[in-house]
Amino acid sequence: MPKLQRHDYYDTARDMNWSFTYVPEEEAFPDALSKSFGIENEKWWGWDEPYKLTYREYVHNQAGKDAGIYSIRSTIARSNMYDKLDEGWKSAVKAHYGAIPVPEYLASIGEARMARFGRAAAWRNMASFGTLDECRHGQAQIYFPYCLTDKDPQMDWAHKTVHTNEWAAIAARSLFDDMFTANDAVSTAIQLTFTFETGFTNLQFLGMSADALHVGDIEFGALISSIQTDEARHSQQGEPTLKILVENGREKEAQKLVDQMFWRSWRIFGLLTGFSMDYYTPLEHRTMSFKEFMTEWIVRQFVDQFKDLGMDLPWYWEEHFLPELDWYHHAQHLGVWFWRPTVWWNPDAGVSPDERDWLEAKYPGWNDRFGKYWDVITENVRAGRIDKTYPETLPMVCNCCQLPVTGTAVGKKPFTTMHNGRKLTFCSEVCQWVWESQPERYDTHLSVVDRFLAGHIQPPNLEGALQYMGITPEVAGNDADNYAWAHQMRQAAE
Amino acid sequence: MIATTKSRKRKQPWSLWTERRVPSEYEAVTYKFHNHFRNEPAPFELSEDWAINVFYKTNREQSALVAAVEDWEGYRDTRAYTYRRYVEDQKDREVYCDNLIDEFESRNHYAGLAPAWLDFIGDYYLPVRFPGHGAQMSSVYIGQMAPSAFVTNTFYFQMANEMRRVQRQAYLAQVMAMDTGRPELADSDRTRATWTGGETWQGLRELVEKQLCAYDFGEAFASRQLVLRPIFDHLFNTEFARIADANGDGLLAMLHDDFRTYDEVYAVENTEGFVRYAVDRGEGNDALLRDLTARWLPLGEKAARGIAEGFARAPGADSAEAIVGRTLEAQRALVAGCGL
Repeated sequence: MPKLQRHDYYDTARDMNWSFTYVPEEEAFPDALSKSFGIENEKWWGWDEPYKLTYREYVHNQAGKDAGIYSIRSTIARSNMYDKLDEGWKSAVKAHYGAIPVPEYLASIGEARMARFGRAAAWRNMASFGTLDECRHGQAQIYFPYCLTDKDPQMDWAHKTVHTNEWAAIAARSLFDDMFTANDAVSTAIQLTFTFETGFTNLQFLGMSADALHVGDIEFGALISSIQTDEARHSQQGEPTLKILVENGREKEAQKLVDQMFWRSWRIFGLLTGFSMDYYTPLEHRTMSFKEFMTEWIVRQFVDQFKDLGMDLPWYWEEHFLPELDWYHHAQHLGVWFWRPTVWWNPDAGVSPDERDWLEAKYPGWNDRFGKYWDVITENVRAGRIDKTYPETLPMVCNCCQLPVTGTAVGKKPFTTMHNGRKLTFCSEVCQWVWESQPERYDTHLSVVDRFLAGHIQPPNLEGALQYMGITPEVAGNDADNYAWAHQMRQAAE
Repeated sequence: MIATTKSRKRKQPWSLWTERRVPSEYEAVTYKFHNHFRNEPAPFELSEDWAINVFYKTNREQSALVAAVEDWEGYRDTRAYTYRRYVEDQKDREVYCDNLIDEFESRNHYAGLAPAWLDFIGDYYLPVRFPGHGAQMSSVYIGQMAPSAFVTNTFYFQMANEMRRVQRQAYLAQVMAMDTGRPELADSDRTRATWTGGETWQGLRELVEKQLCAYDFGEAFASRQLVLRPIFDHLFNTEFARIADANGDGLLAMLHDDFRTYDEVYAVENTEGFVRYAVDRGEGNDALLRDLTARWLPLGEKAARGIAEGFARAPGADSAEAIVGRTLEAQRALVAGCGL
């Protein structure tokens, strides 16, 4: 082994900062891509990553990790493990694959933006590793569903989703482009690495990985927990960036960045992780409810992290965010199940008698709030009126999060506002605040409903909408259990 | 047991895959990953007028080199690298470098280096980690602007290779400083001052800084891959390695041999491959790349001249003219190898 240890030469390997003089600094680090928040160049040079790593360590560690997950893949490819998995769980996995692998690859562009336009060489080095990591996450994750396309045509959407105008694809792109693909370096460090990767990826990756191992999906569990080890490292770019903002009197700007992106992340992951944990994971394998996971992984950890760094909780924490833990994902799940032909997985209703008891126990009041809608659906299924359980129109969609507008009560009006003569719809006060806090990012963007009304979707009915969304008959979602849960209800009633 | 589960059925490729043959694993995990390229009405799912949408439309979609080619999904990395294969290969290179350093250190290598050589590398070699880092930044810029993931990933790997070289250079600065009792060799402030103020470095610094501001994709590619990189790599991986060898620094010579034999060859092959692809499929791209190269070459020559003047001060080195001549010849050979 070479005689020096990493710490002996690390500083020499990361202090390649200098002041450019042959070109103006604002040309080399343009605000649109770099955004200094008015902090002078040299003040960024003290950027100090908590997790230190050299290239030689990186390739050594990563080669080992990849050998591990691909050997699991090749062992499992020879087994019929996938066929034996619960249908609801498969849906959770397919929803994940459509929403995550290509966007993770796209996060390499956000990392690459920091690796070029980040304001300190140490940061650019960490982001260079982050760039490679995200390339890994895209490639490794998509290879697994690729191996399953023969067994399940919905697996094709691991690759196809981002290329479509499927409503959830639009919502996911809207979030991820805002967060990293089309974001400046400093905001990306705060919004992607600090806000999103230290919180929500823990939820989806560690939470889902724990459930995967219970369900017996070793492949998915091993894959996503291996990915999380990279996230745990490169997510640490946020903290030193935040420290520099705070040290230079930019707490308010940093707080706003966090508040905007925490909410936007909550919207998508409330939906994706919410139904995966509380409805799609088989009852006997659920480790915790979604709310319990959120409370443990997001609420507690995030609060600690914030307080440690002298930040405030988002302004909407008590009034809007915490109360939503009891209802938001239940409402979205109901909507996703109802509009199931518009998704690339088979939504699992997850409301058999035992599951309803579990939901009521975990979310007291669930029966009164949501059970009554499922009662009507159940009745229609049992009476053979499946057509009544399908939608005929599109839901209202929020111009900020791009997700269907839901609420705690039927008939509650969405939030609306006029902007440059255009009527905008929001699902919540917070989505309206996010949008209005930076209209330059959103103002000419059309939601799927705006496109429908503008005549982009022809014919203007559900069939035209499915075609516009790229949903083909072999992929269109159906009930995961072929309505078995509704018949269990009959047995229970009898 | 395995044989019974094997199926003769053709693997179902992605539905977006259009060729009749089944894609390789490399292709399956790289094909059409840039959904945002030429997306309408804007690359990203935000306002069309959002600054980064405008930036990508201007510098990628409307870059003449990019616009001339209809399909960018056909480009292939000459090594068909997936992430997994890249880190496997580079792990082996790093083990080799560790062993090399270990071998020299076991013979107390640094203590035997001549004082004149240590003076020389402090002034004319060690600041190279600053432009090396600039080359890393430049590569990752091209990566994030490239029109397909097949192109992007080759630049991510080149970015990482630049970091690899810089970190070995930093290691050597530190270990030499410690073993020879010359702390100034690892003093980053002193090295930075040489990089920003040393006369022989200024041509290169001007090139690096200006090249980082070449935002149009075609111009970023040409200025880096056809001018900056061949000149920079030839100077340090070939000319400097030769001088190091002549001065009894076999370790530096052999490290640069490794960078030249593997990482530099990777950059050369993918530059040639990319240019051929862009020229074969894009009318006018040959003239465009020639023009861009010609436009950037004077800065490249100025950079080469400065570094060569520094190198010429090493004990037993060739004249600056001879070094500049060989460097520009190497750059010309690369351009010719691209068929331009």
